[in-house]
Amino acid sequence: MLTYIARRLLFLPLVLLGVTVFIFVAMSFLSPYQLVSSYIKSPEELKNQSLDDLVKKYRLDDPAYVKYFRWLGNVLRGNLGYSRSANMYVAEAIKARFPATLELTLFAIIPVVLGGIWLGSLAAMHHNKPIDHVTRVFAIIGWSLPSFVFGIVLLMYFYGVLGWFPPGRLSTWADQIVLSSSFVRYTGMNTVDAILNGEWRVFWDAVRHLVAPTISLSYLWWAFILRITRSSMLDVFNKDYVRTARAKGLAENLVIRRHVRRNALIPVATVAGLMVLGMLGGLTITETVFDYKGLGLLTATAAQQLDYTCVVGTTLFYGLILVVINLVVDIMYAIIDPRVRLE
Amino acid sequence: MKGRHLVAIIAAVMVLALGPAGFAQTTNPDTFVFVAFGEPDSLDPAYAYDTASGEVIHQCYDNLVAYEKGSVERMVPALATKVPTVANGLISKDGRTVKFPIRTGVKFHDGSVLTPEDVEYTFERAMLSDPAGGPVWMFFEPLFGVQTLKDLACKVAGLDKIDDMTKLDPAVLRKVYDAVDKSVEVEGGNVVFHLASSYPPFLQILAKGASWGAILSKKWMTTHGAWDGKPDTWIKWYDPPKEEMALYDVAMGTGPFKLTKWDKSGGQIIFERFDGYWRGPAKLKTAFIKYIDEYNTRKLMLQTGEADAIMISPMYLDQVKAIPGAVVQEHLPAITNTALLFNYTIPVKGNEDIVGSGKLDGKGVPSNFFNDVHVRRAFNYAFDYDAYINEVALGQGSKPHGPIPAILPYCDKSQEWYGHDLKKAADEFKAAFGGELWKKGFQLSILYNTGNDNRKTAAEILEANIERINPKFKIEVQGVQWATYLDKLRASALPVFFMGWHMDFPDAHNFVFPYMHSAGAFAGYCGADMIKLAKQEFDDLIAKGISTTDPAARAKVYEALQKKAYAQAIALFYVDAQDQRVYRDWVKGYVFNPAYSANYDFYEVWKEVK
Repeated sequence: MLTYIARRLLFLPLVLLGVTVFIFVAMSFLSPYQLVSSYIKSPEELKNQSLDDLVKKYRLDDPAYVKYFRWLGNVLRGNLGYSRSANMYVAEAIKARFPATLELTLFAIIPVVLGGIWLGSLAAMHHNKPIDHVTRVFAIIGWSLPSFVFGIVLLMYFYGVLGWFPPGRLSTWADQIVLSSSFVRYTGMNTVDAILNGEWRVFWDAVRHLVAPTISLSYLWWAFILRITRSSMLDVFNKDYVRTARAKGLAENLVIRRHVRRNALIPVATVAGLMVLGMLGGLTITETVFDYKGLGLLTATAAQQLDYTCVVGTTLFYGLILVVINLVVDIMYAIIDPRVRLE
Repeated sequence: MKGRHLVAIIAAVMVLALGPAGFAQTTNPDTFVFVAFGEPDSLDPAYAYDTASGEVIHQCYDNLVAYEKGSVERMVPALATKVPTVANGLISKDGRTVKFPIRTGVKFHDGSVLTPEDVEYTFERAMLSDPAGGPVWMFFEPLFGVQTLKDLACKVAGLDKIDDMTKLDPAVLRKVYDAVDKSVEVEGGNVVFHLASSYPPFLQILAKGASWGAILSKKWMTTHGAWDGKPDTWIKWYDPPKEEMALYDVAMGTGPFKLTKWDKSGGQIIFERFDGYWRGPAKLKTAFIKYIDEYNTRKLMLQTGEADAIMISPMYLDQVKAIPGAVVQEHLPAITNTALLFNYTIPVKGNEDIVGSGKLDGKGVPSNFFNDVHVRRAFNYAFDYDAYINEVALGQGSKPHGPIPAILPYCDKSQEWYGHDLKKAADEFKAAFGGELWKKGFQLSILYNTGNDNRKTAAEILEANIERINPKFKIEVQGVQWATYLDKLRASALPVFFMGWHMDFPDAHNFVFPYMHSAGAFAGYCGADMIKLAKQEFDDLIAKGISTTDPAARAKVYEALQKKAYAQAIALFYVDAQDQRVYRDWVKGYVFNPAYSANYDFYEVWKEVK
């Protein structure tokens, strides 16, 4: 198993190198004056701005391969470059934004996966009965509802009308505590740091800000998990060993818990892994609607403004997560399913 | 069952989350929260040239002089104890020497005391670093009659062109330093500026509201990695990337607020009152500027009272007016205008997708299409100004009188700009190219950068009206990505393009120069024939306008320029924009000043929370 992990990790630099070459090749199709658009954002900023001076200053007229090797040299020296769109060094930006996305993912994953599995089993156990139809329709509505629409509805009701779950990551007063010098940032995740600093008011404030995006994400993803759980459970219901279990007179409850659900979870683990991966890469729309400053918002803004330094940096980071999480999912198979061996 | 546990857990989390809702939502009378969109570029006064940056710098720094509340003309002393005038002897008779007596006992945020040397350092450091595309040209123009440090170096070294400043001979670099050094000098308790020629709006350039005029602490700067103040070292700090400048994301001034933190990942800036402020401490204790692009979030924050003021686009004004307790100020005269500019010499080769055949044959436009004044006039007559101002700008704008916005002194309001008149437009088109254009027709693309819907609609208004005049006239409105737009603009490939100008300092010169001078900001995109026209018709007058000190004589010059702009129909000026402010009714003391890039001066406003 260790050799397997080592071999997989050895591929990592190759994957990342491939990705970066791809981005720089794509970039070589842009003219220096197109690239300058990440330095100037609107026609109003053109006043007294000589585009030629800017192109020269930031060496945008160099050929793509020169830019690539310059960039690669800097990366090897530990410098991912400066992001114009985030106004920060790329490494600094990822370090600041990733914990936010991670925190939201961690909060969302529990209701999404558990809720999805629960709804899926419910539907499967009442196959083709009203409860099955109702659950599925409920989940499909969530899946079909554009997340920006549902997010805004949530925000308008829970924040605008009730004043419960505000946008952003923290309230103004909590920000003042968190940004003060006496507050130590251990992880960058507000809830965790608040507990470690013993600031319970800040903890609850952070949780309050996480509720609405979590609900929004859960409702979006439930259909996804539900459908996989449901079909995979229905599949297992017809298996011989389930029939045997029933035939030997085992209580239905136990049949489901011990024989059906456990076996039905393997495909669910795969998609849940992919889902976490997707979430960690950034929840662009959810983050935008709830003004939740995470990785998704960072990458989307960077891409929009042709801020290639930031795009390449976040892509590298994303590639890293991709390889690691895929590895974790593979290891999880081995744990859930004794038939799987990692060689 | 598991499911029940889950529901119970979710319910518990929700209930617990609701618990503290009560105490968080009190509107703190000491804290002001302004929610804007568009983050600052850099907080270094020598680099910052956008309004978002100016807003932050405004709170943390002071300038030598300031505007009297709400005025763009009358000045009051700030870090200088007197406003220089010819009458009080602080401006010499020829207008070329301007003296500022520096206030004593003023403290910087780190506790050190302001000296005249700090003022001298501030301006010399700005000029010697001269970031590309930055605001420092505003010092070079009055002090040396040039636009950049490179221009100055050419002048002192007797060279036509310099490619790389860092490769210049140390002796030349020293000469450049000496020239800069001599332009701003300390004389006892005064700081004296030596101008190349008289420059009437010089005080406006230095006044509060202009971030580049913010006074820095020499001691703090030299100990925090900025230029050390020595004659032979400055080239190391010449034209640096913004992120490497000492004040890029921090502030050290004498202003009413200290910058606690620019929390870039959280998209907010936090200010704290400076108790040692020389005018006495501010009423507010803390202030926040939060940057949130999503309008709905900003609106909800105003509605719940979490935000005391928000920034909005005119299209949402009606929505916020419906919020109880929201104060909406509209039709505030901003010193900014928008125009459609013409390219007098359109390149044809490689530009066929925009100009078609490149000939006067009805399937395109010839290169000199807009070099014919009749075409420019026809376009001006064809535009429906009222429709644009009422339907697109939603009434938040006024019809221009030409390049100079109506709110500025020296705008001759008795002169009208072209009006919507399709008959006159047809007459002009008939007169163009000796009648050939009317017979053959033309086909032309108007490009705009996608996302800019106001400009798209402006182009469509023009399209609808021009196509109505003659069925042989065809206009296609085409949206392109901003990067592509910029690329084409740089190549002078756009036959017409939209451009707005926001004032640097409230003076007519700041508007006639970019729109009319042969070296103006837009001249490069307008083609060789526009530059030729400017050299023949406008340049001398513009030079006369800026070097004349007598206000009555100046007024005559700008009157003449405005007439010439009209006669030549140099561009299609279609709106003088207006501004809006939206805040909660507990915000008091707000006074609008169009010369500020700051939406709110945190020293002036306070909150009255019952």
